Amino acid sequence: MEKILQVKDLELSFHTFGGEVKAIRGVNFDLYKGETLAIVGESGSGKSVTTKSIMRLLPEATSEFKNGEILFGGRDLTKLSDKEMQKIRGKDISMIFQDPMTSLNPTMPIGRQITEPILKHQKIGKDEAKKVAIDLLRLVGMPKPELRMKQYPHQFSGGQRQRIVIAIALACNPQILIADEPTTALDVTIQAQILELMKDLQKKIDTSIIFITHDLGVVANVADRVAVMYGGKIVEIGTVDEIFYNPQHPYTWGLLSSMPSMDAEDAKLYAIPGTPPDLLDPPKGDAFALRSEYAMKIDMEQPPPFFKVSDTHMAATWLLHPEAPAVEPPEMVIERMKKFPGSRYYEGSAN
Amino acid sequence: MAEKLVEIKNLKQHFNVGKANEVKAVDGISFDIYKGETLGLVGESGCGKSTTGRSIIRLYDATDGQVLYEGESVHGKKNKKDLKKFNRKMQMIFQDPYASLNQRMKVMDIIAEGIDIHGLAKDANDRKKMVYDLLETVGLNKEHANRYPHEFSGGQRQRLGIARALAVDPDFIIADEPISALDVSIQAQVVNLLKELQEEKGLTYLFIAHDLSMVKYISDRIGVMYFGKLVELAPADELYENPMHPYTQSLLSAIPLPDPNYERNRTRKAYDPAVHNYTDADDVKMREVSPNHFVNCSEKEFAELQERMAAKK
Ligand SMILES: Nc1ncnc2c1ncn2[C@@H]1O[C@H](COP(=O)(O)OP(=O)(O)OP(=O)(O)O)[C@@H](O)[C@H]1O
Ligand SMILES: Nc1ncnc2c1ncn2[C@@H]1O[C@H](COP(=O)(O)OP(=O)(O)OP(=O)(O)O)[C@@H](O)[C@H]1O
Ligand SMILES: [Mg+2]
Ligand SMILES: [Mg+2]
Repeated sequence: MEKILQVKDLELSFHTFGGEVKAIRGVNFDLYKGETLAIVGESGSGKSVTTKSIMRLLPEATSEFKNGEILFGGRDLTKLSDKEMQKIRGKDISMIFQDPMTSLNPTMPIGRQITEPILKHQKIGKDEAKKVAIDLLRLVGMPKPELRMKQYPHQFSGGQRQRIVIAIALACNPQILIADEPTTALDVTIQAQILELMKDLQKKIDTSIIFITHDLGVVANVADRVAVMYGGKIVEIGTVDEIFYNPQHPYTWGLLSSMPSMDAEDAKLYAIPGTPPDLLDPPKGDAFALRSEYAMKIDMEQPPPFFKVSDTHMAATWLLHPEAPAVEPPEMVIERMKKFPGSRYYEGSAN
Repeated sequence: MAEKLVEIKNLKQHFNVGKANEVKAVDGISFDIYKGETLGLVGESGCGKSTTGRSIIRLYDATDGQVLYEGESVHGKKNKKDLKKFNRKMQMIFQDPYASLNQRMKVMDIIAEGIDIHGLAKDANDRKKMVYDLLETVGLNKEHANRYPHEFSGGQRQRLGIARALAVDPDFIIADEPISALDVSIQAQVVNLLKELQEEKGLTYLFIAHDLSMVKYISDRIGVMYFGKLVELAPADELYENPMHPYTQSLLSAIPLPDPNYERNRTRKAYDPAVHNYTDADDVKMREVSPNHFVNCSEKEFAELQERMAAKK
């Protein structure tokens, strides 16, 4: 498969009043043409910062690339000038932001905000662009789009704003679409429509999608592959089946155990104990060790390398070291593993 | 029956009245919120959930209808002192954390704003301690107090909004998607926290959300909205086991599950408002189909639903 984007050894810090926040601490992944890669992980683990660094949208004064490269079309995006980056942004790579209000201009009618990138990157006239914009709004499920083109962002609901942002991101048929929590503000029926829309776009023009979400149901629905982030690193990456049915990292286990199921009793929900690592002074070993009942002595001393689970599946945990003791994952995770051929808990027929 | 804390009576909130782009964001809804309960509110994006919340807390003047808090009208005239008291009792956690936090203020001052307005801190040290405690309550730490909102991740910002609402020790909290920006483990933490606070302090919540498994988990009763109207209201378990309005059925059929195999083969039920075939003669309103289970329906649909209920038994 063709690699459209390669993130290599990315390290990035913020300089703040309190010191250097080491937000990204060595991130590696490839994005293949036409695939959807979901990024999940703890709040504050660096999902948005990773993708914003691809788009080069971090505050220049306070953020610093410490190491690594981001290769797109033979070029290292970390080294491009602002001007070169502008040509890529919104055209080849576009992004749907987590907080829609940060990417919408509150003082400009939404119609103009959608037509602007179309006029900038495509050779079409104003009237045509307006038609494209109305079509896009209809496509994302906005009722009566003609009447709403002249309205301002504050006149829309949270989910409607999010859909306007989606319309803008889709306007130029990007090669890479980075979607940061694109459907979190939407109800499940409209969410399903948007997910279909993104899949259609993918089929039509082979767009590659990086999809950040906390909703593991959505991940199961859209993702081909999943990367799990914790404390500024990817701790596990694999196909969607591998991550859901054969997870290996204790953080992934905790994540999968935290969801309420539809038939959950009134018992307390499971929450991973402890607090996220301090990125001003990150732990020297496995960043998750302090919160993990599976932690071993080496976890406190040395960061685990990636261990290969299959050709498509890797996890950074010392538990996969040949000399590590075999441990029993949590009950809920074993239930999942029973469905996975190749897992030692497999009990036949997944489908 | 439990005591009513909030009564919403035929509330209407229309925008751009009389213009081509008039929006009937909330169009005549009525329900009660009982003391100490969590009422979940779900529904299509843009159906008027936030507007309902904002009207209840008086961020808008209602176009029509009434909101009573402990029997007193919220929208009626009030003197400054009453208003202040009232503002403290009711707090809102906003949907868009970015837009609702003042970007130029440090976290310390954002969270302490309510504490200052209501004079809740004995002195500067007490104020600081209160803020530190609140930060810890929501899973952040005291180092965060000196930061600005833009220096936080989306989920961290949402927790600032929660800490701010908790700061003035309210009785009633309108939580507009308070957890959707959080990872599932922190969602669990916050939901556990909201439940604990509820038990401890007898708090009442109006909980607006899209994540239906979480709504089910936290709510005692759930209201379903569609285009400015309430279409179904029932105890949480009952609603999931026995959804009656076709929109509710469609909503429940679309919940994505964390199971790739299931997702590959899932089917959804679409909702088309035309199925009702309502005419002007139909008296469409909320009717109690079974005890405490209300459905927005016509006389004819009501009869059909009751028949179906009878057949089930
Ligand atoms: N402009 C900034 N200045 C300083 N620190 C920042 C800045 N932006 C982000 N950070 C920090 O970098 C870390 C990673 O943030 P990021 O926004 O990538 O998290 P995330 O994984 O997207 O979380 P969420 O799921 O909550 O959105 C966090 O600890 C955050 O506080
Ligand atoms: N200030 C305003 N002026 C005009 N229309 C508005 C205004 N605020 C909201 N609306 C419209 O009112 C309707 C209801 O909006 P509301 O924000 O209550 O929806 P919601 O149910 O909270 O949706 P979401 O789940 O997307 O947040 C929407 O059609 C919205 O566009
Ligand atoms: Mg983020
Ligand atoms: Mg809303």
